[in-house]
Amino acid sequence: MSIVREYDNFLDLRRQETSNFLWISKRWDPKIAFRQGQSRPSPQFHKEAVLNSPKIQELIEQISSRSNISKSVLEHQVQDILDEIGYEKKFKIIRWLGLMLTKICLTVLSGIYINVEQVEQIKNQMGHCPVIFVPTHRSYGDFIMMSYITFQYDIEIPAIAAGMDFHGMWGMGTLLRDTGAFFMRRTYNDDHLYWTTFRQYVYQLVSKGDLPIEFFIEGTRSRSNKSLSPKYGLLTMVLKAFFFSQVPDIHFVPIGVSYDRILEENLFAFELLGVPKPKESTSGFFKSMKILKESFGNIYVHMDKPISVKQFFGNKVDRSVHNLGALHQQEVTDEEKKLLPSLAYEILNRQQKVLVTTVFNLVSLILNNNLVYEKDLLTLEELTKDVQWIRETVRFLGGFTHSTNIERSINDCFNTHKNLIRINRNKKIKIVSNKISHGEINHKKLKGHLLSDETMTYSVPFVTLQIYVNPVLHYFVDINIILVILSSKSMNEDELFENYHFLRSLFAREFITLAPKDKTVFNTALNNAISLNLVSLTNGSYQLENNEKLRYLIVNTFNAFYVSFLTTLIVLEGLPDVTDEKSILTNAQKLLENSIEKKKDIIHPYSLNLDTLGNCLNSLVDERIIQKTRRNNKTLYEIYRSKLMEIKEHFVRIIPKYYVEESCQITSNRLQNKL
Amino acid sequence: MSEHNQKNQMQGPIVVKSVVPKNRQDLIKWNGWGYNDSKFVIKEGPEIYFSGKRYPIGEQRLPHIYDWAKDVLNVDLATAKPKKIQGLPSEDLYPKPNITAENLDKISSLGISYSTKVIDRLIRAHGQTLHEIYTLQNSTFTRIPDIVLWPTSHNDVVKIVSLSNESDIVVIPFGGGTAVSGAPECPHNESRTIISLDTSQMNKILWLDKENLIGCFESGIVGQDLERELKQLGYTTGHEPDSYEFSSLGGWVATRASGMKKNVYGNIEDLLVHVKMVTARGTLEKNCQVPRLSCGPDFNHVVLGSEGSLGVITEVILKIRPLPQCKKYGSIVFPSFENGVEFMREVAKRRWQPASIRLMDNDQFKFALILKPESTYVALVLDSIKKFYITTIKGFDPDHMCVMTLLFEADEADVKINEKNLYNLSKRFGGYPAGEMNGERGYMLTFVIAYIRDLGLQYEVVAESFETSVPWDRAVTLARNVKFVITDECKTLGITHFLINCRVTQTYDSGCVIYFYLGFNHSGLGDPVVLHNRLETRARNEIVSCGGSISHHHGVGKLRQKWYPSTVSDVGVGLYLAAKKQLDPNNIFATNNLVPPSKL
Ligand SMILES: Cc1cc2nc3c(=O)[nH]c(=O)nc-3n(C[C@H](O)[C@H](O)[C@H](O)COP(=O)(O)OP(=O)(O)OC[C@H]3O[C@@H](n4cnc5c(N)ncnc54)[C@H](O)[C@@H]3O)c2cc1C
Repeated sequence: MSIVREYDNFLDLRRQETSNFLWISKRWDPKIAFRQGQSRPSPQFHKEAVLNSPKIQELIEQISSRSNISKSVLEHQVQDILDEIGYEKKFKIIRWLGLMLTKICLTVLSGIYINVEQVEQIKNQMGHCPVIFVPTHRSYGDFIMMSYITFQYDIEIPAIAAGMDFHGMWGMGTLLRDTGAFFMRRTYNDDHLYWTTFRQYVYQLVSKGDLPIEFFIEGTRSRSNKSLSPKYGLLTMVLKAFFFSQVPDIHFVPIGVSYDRILEENLFAFELLGVPKPKESTSGFFKSMKILKESFGNIYVHMDKPISVKQFFGNKVDRSVHNLGALHQQEVTDEEKKLLPSLAYEILNRQQKVLVTTVFNLVSLILNNNLVYEKDLLTLEELTKDVQWIRETVRFLGGFTHSTNIERSINDCFNTHKNLIRINRNKKIKIVSNKISHGEINHKKLKGHLLSDETMTYSVPFVTLQIYVNPVLHYFVDINIILVILSSKSMNEDELFENYHFLRSLFAREFITLAPKDKTVFNTALNNAISLNLVSLTNGSYQLENNEKLRYLIVNTFNAFYVSFLTTLIVLEGLPDVTDEKSILTNAQKLLENSIEKKKDIIHPYSLNLDTLGNCLNSLVDERIIQKTRRNNKTLYEIYRSKLMEIKEHFVRIIPKYYVEESCQITSNRLQNKL
Repeated sequence: MSEHNQKNQMQGPIVVKSVVPKNRQDLIKWNGWGYNDSKFVIKEGPEIYFSGKRYPIGEQRLPHIYDWAKDVLNVDLATAKPKKIQGLPSEDLYPKPNITAENLDKISSLGISYSTKVIDRLIRAHGQTLHEIYTLQNSTFTRIPDIVLWPTSHNDVVKIVSLSNESDIVVIPFGGGTAVSGAPECPHNESRTIISLDTSQMNKILWLDKENLIGCFESGIVGQDLERELKQLGYTTGHEPDSYEFSSLGGWVATRASGMKKNVYGNIEDLLVHVKMVTARGTLEKNCQVPRLSCGPDFNHVVLGSEGSLGVITEVILKIRPLPQCKKYGSIVFPSFENGVEFMREVAKRRWQPASIRLMDNDQFKFALILKPESTYVALVLDSIKKFYITTIKGFDPDHMCVMTLLFEADEADVKINEKNLYNLSKRFGGYPAGEMNGERGYMLTFVIAYIRDLGLQYEVVAESFETSVPWDRAVTLARNVKFVITDECKTLGITHFLINCRVTQTYDSGCVIYFYLGFNHSGLGDPVVLHNRLETRARNEIVSCGGSISHHHGVGKLRQKWYPSTVSDVGVGLYLAAKKQLDPNNIFATNNLVPPSKL
């Protein structure tokens, strides 16, 4: 990744032109992804093609003869399903929305920055095979941004895979559909007719459609502003067209969308802490309209070079395995499925690499450390100095911050984030905290423990701040692990790598990686740590070096995650062999709340977040320490105790001491009695 | 020959005087395609025309080629200097024949005509792939036959083969030399003496059996001789591969050839009633000439497609048909390739195919226009067409439309019905009848197109064709994907000017045949044969990935060996090798076709 990057502010164009209306009503002759013969396929064409496909027709026949429902009834059902799924294209609405959006963006944003050169290149290459846009998904804004940008650059507006929760929003569902969204149910039931129809629809769009397709590989918005482990459902559906040779290639375009300020930051903080997610409703949407009176700084959209799956898979895929037999009766093979993770992680890694690090990410990194772990609050000058310092480090590690004048950018942060940070009368920077009191809450709806008003009041601002720290953590995680291990003692490379591998595997979900065993990643991190004067090598043994300021920052920044993991291990130890997910999360949060109150140690409130706790559990599942099953709509875990003990012992041996343990023993004992 | 139907038969064999002389180079190019007198010629101006009177396009100005060559292939025929190519080889261009005096003695004592002249050996050392023609024009083959033999009968062949088997001499059968798979080429590192067994002087019509509508022919007879002679007697085999002017009956059987009119007459395997093949173990044949036989695995199918590797085909009994009453061309234009294919699929479903039905894609359609002898410029032609079709036939886009050519051969009444049915049905697929002329031109061009490579070669443009068979439902995607892959690979190789187009040339119940043309300008890019190989390999990989076959009719030869094992399975390879071992224990038919030598 070259550090020199060029972005154009697309809003400048809007500000300079005499009439936005003229722009929005420009002649529309966009570049399409995959030319399909002489006439362009319509939304209706796709639906009919799905209904008439041998796949669906045969299924209808089967169901009909098995359950004695007439074929026409079933055909109607499929038609209804297709109407629920299918995208539309209403150009008037697109233009109208575009105009609204322009007005809104011009008031609340200073800039929408795009790497135009690459966008033009992608555009020039389009026309010959399906193009899939795969943006990061960290705000609802992503939906809108992508369509907005493609409109600007005369690229056909993508068909976007959206969750059905949008569909429920009054008016919004229709609006999104009219601009090209298609809808996917979130509930994973075994409604065979629905899922076969849905899969066939995606297959149709990829193989016979000409629009770019957009979907979010993480499956959902990341509340933590970090990359999530990939979901393979849609990816499989998309790739099927390639595996079946229905298309010559597929180009995946990883896209990083970063926000100076995320529209949903507050909502995310609550959700992370476990306040039930309010169903997305239009009133929620109108609330967001109010928010739009505020300032949201800049948005950065970086489109990366397309990944050609043909090149990416190379000889690893043999498409001729589908040559015998009717195609529509075949499925993606296990061999093919095994190839998906490498592609998914490649996309995610590329997204992370191209994401612009905002100045506020750096500010948050410094402030988070200062506010939680240091005695003296910072002045603006001190903050600026530190931000400049850490910016160099992040740049060294591959991050890119878009700012021509860092002082001004930092100043802007205090405007954009005035709900979160503020300079007080003594010229010191403080976090803004508002008293929170929740009313009636249905315990059944909680995923975890009902945190007290005090805990919430204290935690929400820090969790919100952490949301902005998170996007830079992937630059540091490998170095952090090395530093944490070397803090326990000096050691040679083999021992270091062994411990690194151990911790990196446990964090493989929190800081996503497909290959925690990767020696080259480790070596790069180690070399970087040496270059940054964090680590040195003498007589074949690695030890900590004297760049203490950076070391404290890197170690402190990750404390919350170690604490969450430790807590999870403690809780699992105290719980029965088979335990449901909610009990684990509840106990962990309870225990952490306790530790925070007791104040024996500084426990970062982010450790309370359910996202991380869930990742801990998933990592333990990956490592076969616990096993996940579903029964009666409940997620249960079976705990392999001896393995758990082994892992905990190793974990505790190499990580810093955190004072959660003592208080917890009481808690978990008491819990056990209750259970 | 059975006694009772002898009266139906001719008195003795017909000795056919072949169009192609024993000294092949007197009539046909020694280093290119076709007749010496037929080629694309550029005169001052530049004026481009096709020489000779053999084809209807001959001696007419073809003005559109100029602009087209410039646009598509970046060749300015007015200024570019044609490349200098090697002249007829001298005796010292190749090593002296690798043959002992003793063996030469033995051979000459057979009393069979032979030659050890370099020109005779070289002319029989190759087929018609790009690699072979390019080598002829620019360098030398690593190995050519040491001696050419011209047997005139089955018995001659028996003698040659048994001598060879005893003396460990290699025999490579040679028919018309039109193979496009590298099949006739000598293995590079063959250290034994290689005989090129030229079948051309073994071309008699041995007998016709009009009662049963079959005829027995010697394998060296070439297509045009066979058809001319039969026509005089009121018959035809109906087997008409595009190479039929020069390819031989033995070659057809050895490569599993397919003729344009197979819908009416069948492919070579359908036409073949009986075949004699001389192997190192003796002659493989049957004791009857029956229409069908249930008698274990059909050994005809061991002979068919054996590509010279198991023995020499000497005599073949083929079905013959009375000449058709009516022969008529036709054409239909479609708004897009996809429409055309859908129509073809429907025609095949109803089994309504006329003798031939072919669909050119848009690029080929345009190319056909380029070869029109008219005086307006290309742009004008395209423009007038644009106007014409857009105004008169709504919805036709000149960048998407396609043309289908048809050939009817049957009784007049049947042709009428067939025509009517097809034209009516085509409307459902957006088709529009476009006249007999266009159809006839389409078929004529097929023969002429083979000549255009020689023109390109003079201007750093190389061209080649390749084909496949594919199930119906995968045909369109296969064509599309192959074009994509070629475009992609050209980009990788730095090729900026190229063409890749295709046509559907045959239809079957369950699938069709797609035939691709590929050509590109290679100036400044290095060895064009290497470049082409990369392109064709990628294309074939893609074809196989898309459900297509290694080949519909060109065969495997040496060019497509790579895909042979995966096509037939390891057991299949073993089965072939077992047959090879049994029929040819000393590997004297060391053609190295089908299975690479390492496996033998
Ligand atoms: C312009 C052009 C158009 C073509 N069109 C068609 C087409 O429409 N359909 C089609 O099927 N093919 C076509 N071909 C390919 C080629 O013409 C066929 O493969 C043809 O059958 C080869 O016959 P041949 O006599 O030229 O054989 P050759 O090229 O001489 O030999 C081909 C192989 O068969 C072996 N062989 C030849 N004769 C005998 C024999 N008597 N006994 C044993 N083995 C023998 C040779 O050893 C060699 O391995 C075309 C080729 C060209 C150049």
